[in-house]
Amino acid sequence: MTDHSARTLVRRQAAGTSRRAGALAATAAAALVLAACSGGGEGVDTGAGGGAGGGDGSGGTLVAAVSAQPDQLDPHVTSAYASFQVLENVYDTLVVPSPEDLVMEPSLATGWETSEDGLTWTFTLREGVTFHDGSDLDAADVVYSFNRIIDEELNPSFRFADVASVEEGDGGTVVITLTQPTPNLLALIGSYKGLAILPEGAAEDYDLTTEAVGTGPFALESSDASGTVLAAYPDYWDGAPTVDGVEFRYITEPAAALTALQTGEVQWTDNVPPQQVEALESDDAVELATVESVDYWYFSMNYDVPPFDDPAVRRAIATAVDREAVAEAATFGAGQANQTAIPQGSFYASDYAPYPSDTEAAIAILEEAGVQTPIQMGLMVTDELPASVTAAQVVAAQLEPIGVEVSIQTEDFATWLDRQSQGDFDAFLLSWLGNIDPFDFYQSQHITDGASNYQGYSNPEVDALLEEAAVETDEDARKALYDEASAIIVDDASYVYLYNPDVVQAWAPGLSGYTIRADRAINFEQVELP
Amino acid sequence: MLVGVSVLVFALVHLVPGDPVRLALGTRFSQESYDALRERSGLDQPLLVQYFTWAGRALTGDLGVSFRTGEPVTLLILERLPATLLLAGAAIVVALLIAVPLGTVSALRPRTLLDRAATVVSQAGISIPDFWMGIVFILLFAGTLGWLPTGGYVSPADDPAGFLQRLVMPAVVTGVVSGSVLTRFVRSSVLEARGADHVRTAEAKGLGTRVVLSWHVLRNALLPLVTVTGVQLAYLLSGVVVVEIVFSWPGLGQLALQAVQSRDYPVLQGAVLLFALTFLVVNLVVDLLYTRLDPRIRV
Amino acid sequence: MSADPAGADAAGDATPAAPMRPERPRWRETLGLLARNPTAVVAAGVITLVVLVAVFDDLVAPTDGLGVSIPDRLLPPSLAHPFGTDELGRDVLSRVVLGASVSLRVGLVAVGISLLVGTTTGLVAGFYGRWVDDVLMRVMDMLFAFPAVLLAIAVLAVLGPGTTNATIAIGVVYIPIFARVTRSSVLSVREEVYVRASRSVGAGDLRLLVRHVLPNAAPPVIVQTSVSLAFAVLSEAALSFLGLGTQPPSPSWGLMLAEGRGFIQVAWWMSVFPGLAIFLLVLSFNLLGDGLRDVLDPRQRTAMGGGR
Repeated sequence: MTDHSARTLVRRQAAGTSRRAGALAATAAAALVLAACSGGGEGVDTGAGGGAGGGDGSGGTLVAAVSAQPDQLDPHVTSAYASFQVLENVYDTLVVPSPEDLVMEPSLATGWETSEDGLTWTFTLREGVTFHDGSDLDAADVVYSFNRIIDEELNPSFRFADVASVEEGDGGTVVITLTQPTPNLLALIGSYKGLAILPEGAAEDYDLTTEAVGTGPFALESSDASGTVLAAYPDYWDGAPTVDGVEFRYITEPAAALTALQTGEVQWTDNVPPQQVEALESDDAVELATVESVDYWYFSMNYDVPPFDDPAVRRAIATAVDREAVAEAATFGAGQANQTAIPQGSFYASDYAPYPSDTEAAIAILEEAGVQTPIQMGLMVTDELPASVTAAQVVAAQLEPIGVEVSIQTEDFATWLDRQSQGDFDAFLLSWLGNIDPFDFYQSQHITDGASNYQGYSNPEVDALLEEAAVETDEDARKALYDEASAIIVDDASYVYLYNPDVVQAWAPGLSGYTIRADRAINFEQVELP
Repeated sequence: MLVGVSVLVFALVHLVPGDPVRLALGTRFSQESYDALRERSGLDQPLLVQYFTWAGRALTGDLGVSFRTGEPVTLLILERLPATLLLAGAAIVVALLIAVPLGTVSALRPRTLLDRAATVVSQAGISIPDFWMGIVFILLFAGTLGWLPTGGYVSPADDPAGFLQRLVMPAVVTGVVSGSVLTRFVRSSVLEARGADHVRTAEAKGLGTRVVLSWHVLRNALLPLVTVTGVQLAYLLSGVVVVEIVFSWPGLGQLALQAVQSRDYPVLQGAVLLFALTFLVVNLVVDLLYTRLDPRIRV
Repeated sequence: MSADPAGADAAGDATPAAPMRPERPRWRETLGLLARNPTAVVAAGVITLVVLVAVFDDLVAPTDGLGVSIPDRLLPPSLAHPFGTDELGRDVLSRVVLGASVSLRVGLVAVGISLLVGTTTGLVAGFYGRWVDDVLMRVMDMLFAFPAVLLAIAVLAVLGPGTTNATIAIGVVYIPIFARVTRSSVLSVREEVYVRASRSVGAGDLRLLVRHVLPNAAPPVIVQTSVSLAFAVLSEAALSFLGLGTQPPSPSWGLMLAEGRGFIQVAWWMSVFPGLAIFLLVLSFNLLGDGLRDVLDPRQRTAMGGGR
């Protein structure tokens, strides 16, 4: 697929696999993906071929082991990945990313038109869609849902920053009016279930933190501390799911989750530590799948803390780091080293790689700049993401020979966020997850005073390039702008990029109709049990 | 005492760094929504005001609403309480099953090889980190042998067999810890009871060891066991955090840990208050029981 | 003291008189009794061995245990690496050896804190009684009622993670036990004839406390110390399981065990050897404590609390 018109902008917010209950939405990000040559999804046999499912309701119940309990079930409020694992199957959005390549495609909206000036988008709604409470979907429901997010400034409200109004149009359409052209609007309003469509007045009629009333393939039956149970919705607009229901069980310890899969207690899990990948590939009791994700790992130094304000110090550190070794140690082969943020399979990927992984060269840079060594560096990581602790140890070992003495500081995520936002750190190592759009790979992290620019980076040249790229509608021109901006960001070592990990999931042999996805969304609509 | 605990809980919880509002909002939010949530949760009030508001409501059984889930804390706790109570109860049974035979055997043959062996066995249980024992158990009994499920919880009312199967491993891991404490205690109580006058008299009268043991010794020796068992039970209610995580057991420990991690003040305050309350009640009940059971204390 | 026939009911009578007497406990006899308990002797031997390893760890360890080498990772035990290598290619034997001093230090310092604060509190509370007792012991009860793991986590969240802070947190958790044990011993000797006598001849409070009360309250405290050392080592492991204890890459047994649990199916040696080390040390502290208890505290005044 090389047709440019098929390329759609997708933004998405998600959190990573966290090993503990109570895991919080680790990071949120957004990006732009393309149809063409994307890393895509490694499809499993899709059975019915993507159309209407079986729907005879005799398919049994799928038991899925996830690592954490949803914090709450209001799609517009929560930011926890554990919640979206469930909500993905309960709610629908106007448009959805296709499982294979994350291109935005019709869902509750069957089509849309854009005005000449690009400021008015008109969506046509699907006929015959009903909510789980039996009521019919109409434009008022969409207007209500989006305005609820905007008016109450709920979690996804930043996605509507350029939206002037959401109104009901002629013939039951929905009209979104913008203040400036927004080429990636579809991605903004459809890339994840935080943009779910609720029935009008749902917040008054239901306790959305514990109840759910969507249009999705499954209806919420119960959710408590021991599990979340979904039942197939027989009147689903795309045909009832093949299985009777899905039960999510929370198993925090990866060893326990895998054992449960091997013994047949559960049929699916995403709680697979990377070091098990090799062993599982030869295990007949388990089907293992990996796909290149749209996440990246990096570390960043605080511009307000000397000597990290010195470009030579940052460059020397970026030169000394052996990204291959970090990726190998942290992912056991399920990840690719990268000197920029965007995965190499993506249209927007850059092959810019100026750093040689050379200790001698790094020492030379420091000597040339007359930098005093040893340098003390506290490197903040979080135990929510065990890979960050592993990666930090490798980075620490690699920096030691150039005279940078790293002390690793493992914080719980709450304290981590506090220290990050107060600028109380020398350096931190973390990942951004679920990115698709280059805007979300680079904008808020590197633009002067950007919301996620905790390191305090400021380069007017980068600012100008990022601003220009954000509204550029031509894909090739946009890529050129981002290539230029990211090269400067890499040279300045605003972030020291490390690697892109794979998504790793495992399920029972013979399970079909499920697609592992780069954006980590988990959808069981068409799953069939062995 | 409870007031003290509540002050301590409150102070400690608010000393901990980490902003619950920021955590609740995720990574992208406006200053307005931040301020709004702060106001709604009452976090903009001075600490003293917050404390009295909370304490006042707590007296009426209203522990507030969770920052994280928006559910009433009382409900969250009540939902979790049965799982923890059942686990703690089962663990005590396991502990007694270990302690009474081992302790008695030890005491009957003090300082012999048998005694030493029993001591080492009982101490071994308390010397292995519980999370490690739990994981090894899962791999062995659920994985290799396939006898038991890996973890999780089903209500005993819905599926009694499934419940018992899932209860075994966490109860044993928790029980061996208390078991070794209790073994030590049983041993010394039995020793002491054997040394008491009436037992010596009975032995002098020529009653068989077995009779003396069963009747005169055990009854007296096991009386104080009630106290210690009670105290252990109170410990277990709050001390099973790690085991609950390893076995995906949806109890109060798990809830409290989640609350710490997300700085969910109302839930944490509620949970710890409940732990403290249980501790007090158990202590009280134990005192009462002891008075009833021990004739020497009865007035 | 005469030889004690095997099987005699010795535990109950070994030194019950000690607290009744104004002089210090008879240390030599105590040690003599202890020496006749083979498990306690073996336990003491293991502890001595661990201490020696910790003191001379630089000489014993084959490597510094920090060198990362990805190609050498997860090697099974061999001649070159008797305990194998971990996920970053570090020598597990070296890390176990180097971890000994971390675990011991955490144990000793944490218990030192609880001992110092708890014993002082217990002494003062028990000796002065009345409102002093009430206030101090209520505070202790509150700490006691606070779940141990959660208290440690909360203290660590305030102080920040790390070995030193974990040590302090563990120390705080065990303060109330020492206070209780000390207090009850003090209560039992406070009204003894010799204390009253000393007081009547005008001995000052401090002198009374140090010369008479403390020595006689000591035996159960000593037993409690040994048992608490065991708990402290386990607590460090539990905190590392939760990611709050010793910071990598420093080798502590608890941290190695916590890291290794994710590899148990692919590299058992990563967690079995540090696990074994913890097990032996903790078991030894417990058995030594048990032996000491038989000799010093036959009436079991030592707190019965487990509380990991």
